[in-house]
Amino acid sequence: MTVNSELQRVNEWAPMRGFANMFYKENYAWWRTRRWWVNAIVWIAIICSLVAFMLFVLPGQAAANNDPSLAEMGGPLALAQNMGLTIFFQMGALAIGIGTIILCQGLIAHEKETGLIEWLLAKPVTRRAYILSKLASSLIAVLVLLIGGPALVTIGLFYLRMGLDFPLIPFLQGTGILIAHTAFYLCLTVMLGTFFSKRSPIMGIAVGTLVGGNVLAGFISQTLYFTPWGFGRVALSLASSEPVPAGMLWPPLISTIILSAVFILVGLVKFEKSEF
Amino acid sequence: MNENGFVLETFGLEKSFGDVHALRGVDLKVPAHSIFGFLGPNGAGKTTLMKLLLGLSRPTRGSGKIFEHDIVKESVAIRERIGYLPQQPRFVDDMTARENLRFAARFFFSGPADKMEARCAEMLELAGLADKADRPVKGFSGGEKQRLGIALAQINYPDLLILDEPASALDPLGRKEVLEVMARLRKHTTIFYSTHILDDVQRVSDTVAILNNGELVTCGPIEQILNAQDGVVYSLTTKGYSESVERQLWMQDWVTQVELIHNNGVSTWQISVNDEASAEALLLRQVSQDPQVTVTAFSRKKYELEEVFMNLVEGGSDDRK
Repeated sequence: MTVNSELQRVNEWAPMRGFANMFYKENYAWWRTRRWWVNAIVWIAIICSLVAFMLFVLPGQAAANNDPSLAEMGGPLALAQNMGLTIFFQMGALAIGIGTIILCQGLIAHEKETGLIEWLLAKPVTRRAYILSKLASSLIAVLVLLIGGPALVTIGLFYLRMGLDFPLIPFLQGTGILIAHTAFYLCLTVMLGTFFSKRSPIMGIAVGTLVGGNVLAGFISQTLYFTPWGFGRVALSLASSEPVPAGMLWPPLISTIILSAVFILVGLVKFEKSEF
Repeated sequence: MNENGFVLETFGLEKSFGDVHALRGVDLKVPAHSIFGFLGPNGAGKTTLMKLLLGLSRPTRGSGKIFEHDIVKESVAIRERIGYLPQQPRFVDDMTARENLRFAARFFFSGPADKMEARCAEMLELAGLADKADRPVKGFSGGEKQRLGIALAQINYPDLLILDEPASALDPLGRKEVLEVMARLRKHTTIFYSTHILDDVQRVSDTVAILNNGELVTCGPIEQILNAQDGVVYSLTTKGYSESVERQLWMQDWVTQVELIHNNGVSTWQISVNDEASAEALLLRQVSQDPQVTVTAFSRKKYELEEVFMNLVEGGSDDRK
């Protein structure tokens, strides 16, 4: 093979051949198109506008209406903090989970639909590298755009409302739980992408797991001990510096990490056997 | 390339999808530096075979080697050295033509950015897309997409180019452009391409294989395949009374068939022979010596690939019935 003497052959670890270039492509799709700023604006607008409402508008309205909950919560500032954190962690967990599924449902399915996957896999890229590059770049993008951006703005809003009384460390602990929750649904969505060529079953199963799981946990509370379905409440408790019920933090957290790894392993095995 | 000069070999390659046998025991040998036309009607199994060669699917039975690497176990090593153009060229839609080339190049090369850019520019020039390099590929015409696809397939200086129907979706001008690019590449690489456009094959290929219903019906140099059809046939055009000549021809040992068509005083002959040397020495003399007949044209019939293809494919279909 003739090779320009100034260019060298790519020298990568054989099992991950092609990862660096696939990772570049995936990052290009996230960060070098309008996708990043559209999502940054949308998610900050969705989550932080509600948080701002809870921090700056709701307590004033409660006071004007002589709402009895104001006294129960311990005053306007306590009500603002409680409602702001509830929105960010409980509603946020659901919204960010759904957002992750929507944004990542087509990671593999779109390339199957268009036939791009054939062209990519005809290059010197291992199937393992193909899947893991998508997972890594999407994890970074989702964490930055769906969690990092809204979390930073929310912290700013809390400081604006509460000054230095805002408990930052507990908030970050709660955000850590939110990250595990989001990573779980990302791994699930990527795995489903290896099984299906259309987006609808991926979307249906992943959203069904997220929403249905939360409903199911209301009836069968034991599921909260090994699934991420109670993570919104756990994150809220941590961020509010309240005690987390026994067995509701570490067992489901460890189990969620293991399940996420299993999803990736199953996805890798399935994709390795797939034919295009 | 192996010691016999083949870059690609398959051994009894089979692929089934449930009860459907897409490929049945295909034995193929592609010589180095050939333009190998892989022919067959739609659904013959051409794309299936290409996907097996690229590691996109796995054979049900049999095996194959490219550059002496096993197509199943050493697929990545094979893909380091080949370029592939799918039937419908696909690109990363968000990227321009130049960015797509840069992306494809990075699968193979690392090195100074200016050298990488020079490689991309060289490919854009080859594909005649230098003036459209920085436009999004979404707006490209079919011919431009096909040429960009070939440039992408060629970015790594491949030892083997695998092109799936590279010209079938194009208008005559687009087809001509693609065939010209292929002809320019022949000195650098081996080209293995599938098509059902016989005219294109006859124009650029030197070796041909014909696949029908998943079976390889013939494979070899194109001239050999054309000459192997039904012995040798000579065409004659005569004027005058031809009955006695016809009678004499039938009496010759080396004549196996005489077909005669009369039209407005002109007779057109198709004479099949089994001894080429005798025919060349005696046929024209035999006809010319009859004073009632004037020979106005004489030639050896040249088979067109289309006739060969139709004979083989229709014959194969009949056998299957």
